Amino acid sequence: MKSLLKMTSLVLLGCVLSGAASAAEIDLRLAPSHADAMIENFNPYNISGPASYVQDFAYEPLWINNVWHADKDFPALATSYDIATDLKSVTYHLRPGTKWSDGVDFTADDVVFTYNYAKAHPDYAVGLDFYSAKDDTGSLTGIEKIDDHTVKFDLIRPNSLAHIDIGSLFPLPQHVWKDVTDPANFANKTVVGTGPWTEIKEFSRNSFKLCRNPQYRDNATNKIDCLQFPQLSDNNQVIAALSKGDLDWATDGITDPDKTFTPKSPDNHYWLPADAGTNLQLNTSKAPFNNLEFRKAMSMAIDRQTLLDVATFGLTTAAKYPIGEGMFYKDWIDDKALQPYAYLMEYNPDAAKKVLDAAGFVDKDGDGWRDEPDGKPIAFKMAVPAGWDDWVNTLQTISENLQDIGINAKMETPEESAWMDNIPTGNFDVYIMWTELSATPWGTYHPMFNPLWMKPGTLRNESMHQMRIPAIEADLNDITATVDPAVQKAKTTDVMVQVAQNLPVITLFSNPGWYEYSTRNFTGWPTKENPWARPMSPAGIHERVKVALSLVPVQH
Amino acid sequence: MLFLLRRLGFYLAAFFVAITLNFFIPRWMPGDPTTRIVLSLRGKIKPEQIEAIKKAYGYSGSLLDQYWLYLQRLSHFDFGISTVNFPAPTSDLLFYAAGWTLFLVGVATALSFGIGIVMGIYSAWHRGGFFDSVFTPVNVMLNAFTPAVVALLLWYAFSLEWALFPLGRAHDIDLTPGWDFNSAVNIAWHATLPVISIVLVNFGAWHLGMRNTMINLLNEDFVVLAKAKGLPDRRIRYRYVARNAILPQITSLALSMGYVLGGAFITEVVLNYPGLGKFTLNAIEARDYSFIQAQLLLLTGSVLIANLASDILNVIFDPRLRTGSRH
Repeated sequence: MKSLLKMTSLVLLGCVLSGAASAAEIDLRLAPSHADAMIENFNPYNISGPASYVQDFAYEPLWINNVWHADKDFPALATSYDIATDLKSVTYHLRPGTKWSDGVDFTADDVVFTYNYAKAHPDYAVGLDFYSAKDDTGSLTGIEKIDDHTVKFDLIRPNSLAHIDIGSLFPLPQHVWKDVTDPANFANKTVVGTGPWTEIKEFSRNSFKLCRNPQYRDNATNKIDCLQFPQLSDNNQVIAALSKGDLDWATDGITDPDKTFTPKSPDNHYWLPADAGTNLQLNTSKAPFNNLEFRKAMSMAIDRQTLLDVATFGLTTAAKYPIGEGMFYKDWIDDKALQPYAYLMEYNPDAAKKVLDAAGFVDKDGDGWRDEPDGKPIAFKMAVPAGWDDWVNTLQTISENLQDIGINAKMETPEESAWMDNIPTGNFDVYIMWTELSATPWGTYHPMFNPLWMKPGTLRNESMHQMRIPAIEADLNDITATVDPAVQKAKTTDVMVQVAQNLPVITLFSNPGWYEYSTRNFTGWPTKENPWARPMSPAGIHERVKVALSLVPVQH
Repeated sequence: MLFLLRRLGFYLAAFFVAITLNFFIPRWMPGDPTTRIVLSLRGKIKPEQIEAIKKAYGYSGSLLDQYWLYLQRLSHFDFGISTVNFPAPTSDLLFYAAGWTLFLVGVATALSFGIGIVMGIYSAWHRGGFFDSVFTPVNVMLNAFTPAVVALLLWYAFSLEWALFPLGRAHDIDLTPGWDFNSAVNIAWHATLPVISIVLVNFGAWHLGMRNTMINLLNEDFVVLAKAKGLPDRRIRYRYVARNAILPQITSLALSMGYVLGGAFITEVVLNYPGLGKFTLNAIEARDYSFIQAQLLLLTGSVLIANLASDILNVIFDPRLRTGSRH
């Protein structure tokens, strides 16, 4: 009986569908994160998976920074923002007429609510940097509603760049969240957002769809009915699904793509633009890394061309200067100022040996390895998680390079969680580490040189080196104290020069940004020739919603 | 009766030790479930927030307090919340995954046992013949393969190069599994590669075991007598010899379950099959304590129950174990 009913309803559905001619649903299938099973959790600030599905697509931020083209940002829930002349507040003008997907108006009250709600629930990290008087850290002191469509964020001290962090706040609908008492454990099974896709459909452990928000302002131009997130649990599966036509957009690591990926289908494409830098974080709180000459010799002893071509499969991009970052901020790089330090990036083992000899790092006990000037033997370990193949190869090569000039350096490969967990402790010699990218170099150097994150026990991945450079700290402060681009650029150049002079980290190369796509169902993807926005799709790349909206469905 | 009570007491003690170890072993590993959350927030988080997150997930307070809470929850069959698949209750996912593993292991074991036994009977009967001298060594060799290698090779060959079989999953994305023909076909199609990869490394053991036992039995007096009586070959082969030879195979079938499960775990990971192995690996990597605990509990529970069942069966079948009975 039941199946008969099902049959009849299917037949009826068929009639309805055929009645509405060419109503085929257009789905974009993407895999922004790996999962073993889909879970009914759509809380935008639960980072284990939900964030990658509902941030940007269902919940919009105030403002989308176009990290590649700072002059072509994308307004989102705010149409514009003003930085106060004293740089102590930022005012956002919210988009009038915006509705949440359940039809309720979006207003300044929602933004104010989100701010206060996050402050009241410290276990629910929304990424706002609240000021804390206790240790004088953070920046935000309060929020004011000017009118229904204007809010002002107050800062403790002048900061011309505060809008970069504030703009990526995803406001929550007050009428839904005011009744939620335990937000960290709230699964938010019904999404109420303002983004293009908010309706959860066809949920199963295998996949689910996020479909059109009936209230979305640009529904007329949005060609995609639903985003579909299929369950895929590792890189191999994602790339295989893309080759097979089961996926349109991926953001996974890939090796030797010209052999393993593009020949599989004429629709398979990839582009791996230079992304975050990769550095060696040296523990400069102890010998021999507290010696500048030793750090210089290390930098010169590394055969970076082999790292690029062999260790990292030719997918990484060369870094030109020892500035703790690759060429990601190329518009900010002052070649004339940095040229004198380019030699530190060139493979020159003989020069490295001379530097070590001159600084007194010679083999004193006759065991074949160089010792410290006071005779203490040098032996250290460089750590990378087991299984991170490109970086394992990288450290393998570097340890051979260092051994060639008489430094007893070895690689160790702890398990990933153990490696991560050890970061704050400061209990290490050398780590290979990524950098943080932002819309301006300030966002990279600030975490790298923030003294708050240099105390063992609370170290951050970017500041593991623990070297305080007061001139850099002053420059970074000066950058936020002005809106004058010329001053910002001059100060940024000074920061880069200081890094090159002091070498708190050893610059290696830029990692690729992982971006693979199929033209089977959609065209209009960002390409090397038309790099208008970052095309990677994990959580945190807010431009991804703009990329999704720009795609053109292929007529089959 | 006393024997059974003694065994029962032993199992209860063993169970308590197991749930205690289940609690402490995951916590002895370096790292905890909040590490990843903190790292992925890229420093936009303060120490008091980290504490608050730990508290929200139930990982604050002393280890002893947590242990007490764990025992209390366990007594209500509350396995807690999974942190990897937050905030799904651990038991939901555990039973979802265990169902697929049970299906996979059940089908694969039945097939490898069946195939192995039939091949064993045939090669014992025609020992030294062409079939025996080719398949016996080949199957023994297959049996020495590790499940990881077999699964990877099959995946590469039949899912990637010649895309005959689907890329993992227990069924198509758009299918809601039910008790109908479509679902059955779809699920069977998706289970083909995982089942084959488990069967390939397992059936050789049954082939060899069956063949060896059969060959021993073939020289027994009752077989000679049966032949002398002029019974047909078929009858001797199946009713006399095979029937006796299969008994020790059934005993070792129970013992082999652990090995088969281990192999299935690896197969699931390689072929993206949504079973226990896949979920457990990820849970260990992300330090999802409650899932690791629940999964270990399920395994220890089933091993203890299997042992208890075999004890009870032994008492029933072996009169010597029954104290107080008439001798």
